[in-house]
Amino acid sequence: MSRFAKTHLGRRDFLRTSAAAGALTLATPGLLRAQSADIHMQTWSAAVDTVQSHLAAFTAKTGLTVDYGNSPYAQYRDAMVTKFVGGAPLDMMWVSDAWLPEWAEAGWIAPIDENETLMAYNAEADDFCTNSMTYGGRQYGLTYYSDYMAFFYDAEKVAAAGFDGPPTTWAEVVEQSLAMKEKGISEHPMMLAMAQESWLIEFISALVFSHGGRFTDEAGASVMTSSPGVQEALQWVVDAVNTHKIISPACVETGELNGLKAFSSGNHAFAMIAKYRLRTLNDPAQSSIAGNVKQAMMPMGPNGSHATVGWMRFHGMSAAAAADATRAANTAKLIEWFGGKADGAYTFQKLLFLDIGAGFGTKPLFQDPDIRAAYDSYGDVDMIQAQQALAQKKDVVTPWFGEWNETNGSAWQSAIIGNTDAAAAVKASSDLWTELKDAY
Amino acid sequence: MTATDIPHTRKRGVWDRIGYEERSALVFLAPVMAVLMAVAVFPILYSFYISLFRIKLTRPNRQPFIWFENYTDLLGDHEFWMSVGRTVTFTVTSVAAIAVISLLIALLLNEQFRGRRFLSTILLIPWAIPYVANALMWKWIYDSGYGALNGVLYQLDFIDKYMVWLGDQDKTLMLIANAFVWKEVPLATILLLVTLKSIPDDLYAAARVDGATVWQRFVHVTLPAMRPGFMLVMIYETMMAIRHFDLFFVLTEGGPGSASHVLSWHIYVETFRNLSFGSGAAMSYVLALATFGLSYFFIRTLGRRM
Repeated sequence: MSRFAKTHLGRRDFLRTSAAAGALTLATPGLLRAQSADIHMQTWSAAVDTVQSHLAAFTAKTGLTVDYGNSPYAQYRDAMVTKFVGGAPLDMMWVSDAWLPEWAEAGWIAPIDENETLMAYNAEADDFCTNSMTYGGRQYGLTYYSDYMAFFYDAEKVAAAGFDGPPTTWAEVVEQSLAMKEKGISEHPMMLAMAQESWLIEFISALVFSHGGRFTDEAGASVMTSSPGVQEALQWVVDAVNTHKIISPACVETGELNGLKAFSSGNHAFAMIAKYRLRTLNDPAQSSIAGNVKQAMMPMGPNGSHATVGWMRFHGMSAAAAADATRAANTAKLIEWFGGKADGAYTFQKLLFLDIGAGFGTKPLFQDPDIRAAYDSYGDVDMIQAQQALAQKKDVVTPWFGEWNETNGSAWQSAIIGNTDAAAAVKASSDLWTELKDAY
Repeated sequence: MTATDIPHTRKRGVWDRIGYEERSALVFLAPVMAVLMAVAVFPILYSFYISLFRIKLTRPNRQPFIWFENYTDLLGDHEFWMSVGRTVTFTVTSVAAIAVISLLIALLLNEQFRGRRFLSTILLIPWAIPYVANALMWKWIYDSGYGALNGVLYQLDFIDKYMVWLGDQDKTLMLIANAFVWKEVPLATILLLVTLKSIPDDLYAAARVDGATVWQRFVHVTLPAMRPGFMLVMIYETMMAIRHFDLFFVLTEGGPGSASHVLSWHIYVETFRNLSFGSGAAMSYVLALATFGLSYFFIRTLGRRM
């Protein structure tokens, strides 16, 4: 037989190969299932190395194996909804407080409040953290990280403008900003990132809460038009952009990250940014105003307070895991390992803080010497804790939050760019809220 | 009847009536057909099926069958019609600009001159850039704080301070159209250039003999002969423009306000943010039918007398 003939694929060979390939394809899910881990964990792509090392310690301690997957935060909700609907194996996952009602109502995640070991950690958590993990009177997880919207200022610019300290009210923000404009210190002293992205509701909520406003009442009905703080907050932004010109009209295209870059490059004197960014802002390698950035209490509106918005990300348990006693027990162990104590200490939250500066909602960590030392190198830990105590849970987090949020963001942007006035924008947002609430 | 009678009485089925080669072809095509059915035909039919339900993924236990209510609801959906209007503006502007610019470049590249090959090569660069990379590049160019556009205009003294581009509702849609045109012109140019190359020289020679000027030769010979190329460009670019999503997603997310809230963005928000798959599927069908209708219109008008 020639060499060519030996390598030629005959009909029998073809059929044999095809059959083998088909059999392998059919057998693959079974093979994969046979190698399946004890716990399936899904997170967004943050602190991946820290998570993996903490998981390795968990497996070494308990002998339980964990199948860990992650996807970018921007696509996380879509990816998780697809997994839930498609019945993908899931036991523990990171959950944002913004999705809690939606996922709970759909029956995708389960409460953990019947587990006394996990619930014992509430005693050491900030109230707004526990509240943010609670929906319909049931608690759905333990804290992964929490943070709040902070008000930062460039102390050098404030001093150069002739002021002794940072503004304490939104009116003083305008006053100091106008002085800075007049002295040529900054063209747009206040940085506000109002681009249509997931951060927008956090900025809006901080403005509204500090103006003494609420979006909804205790029953979840809209009070946007009757609560003066909402319209006052939006009107303040509209005036700051169009009348005083202390905020750039480009704010509607500025996202949180670009806003951070603009502030850290020294373009502005004041900024509303997530508190955990303080480390970046005072890092000489990443910020040209490092050392000058200080945190002040959130300025107040005429009828407001120093309140701000806080948010939570937490470790939740899938309903599928909760339905199986063994899976539920294993998952609870993993939740405690990450959201509670591991070997007697809040190891993961501390690692996360030291690694990426992520905030925590566990009060004893504020007394941890390592954490105080880290905070002291770039911030005022007492100020940080004082502002955190005034953080409020977003009152718009409902099963219809996603739909409303899209329109609310557009309405605020429309008012800022002059397409409509503040009252009409707030009314449009309020009307949609009522419509969606009725529909649900 | 006995068992031995069966072969004599059995009717010949379809399988027996076709030849060995046809049977072999069917066997070998079957896997591909199965894959196509699974990944193309089934999703199309299934998406129509779910468009008849009020499906919201976050309410898995409440998904009533509502016949064509998702479609009729669109008639009274103000935001939907506003987004249709913006889509039409974007599409007409983009396709007109692409047609004119690519025609001019194709006419240029059809001439013999030094550097023609180099020009043809660099023309392909925008086409080779992935859509999302293209969008990110334009986001950087248009940025009002550090964007290249402001930098260039400022350096050339056209502006005395940095301008707001994407944040200005009067400019947003046209700026996105500009980014789209930049990406699409190369392909349109190639399609028109191929058509230009196929025009017989005899036609131009005859026109010259008849005393036609350059302009007359262009109007009476070149343009009519380019009708097939134009038809292709119009159909393809219209389809691309109507359905375009990437630039809107990366550059503005439908903003500022709702200045760039076009139909494709509306469908994305409805389907993947609101997770309303029923109404999202209905909108997608409307978009598909509109695209089909426009393609048919172009074929009927530009394809006439071909």
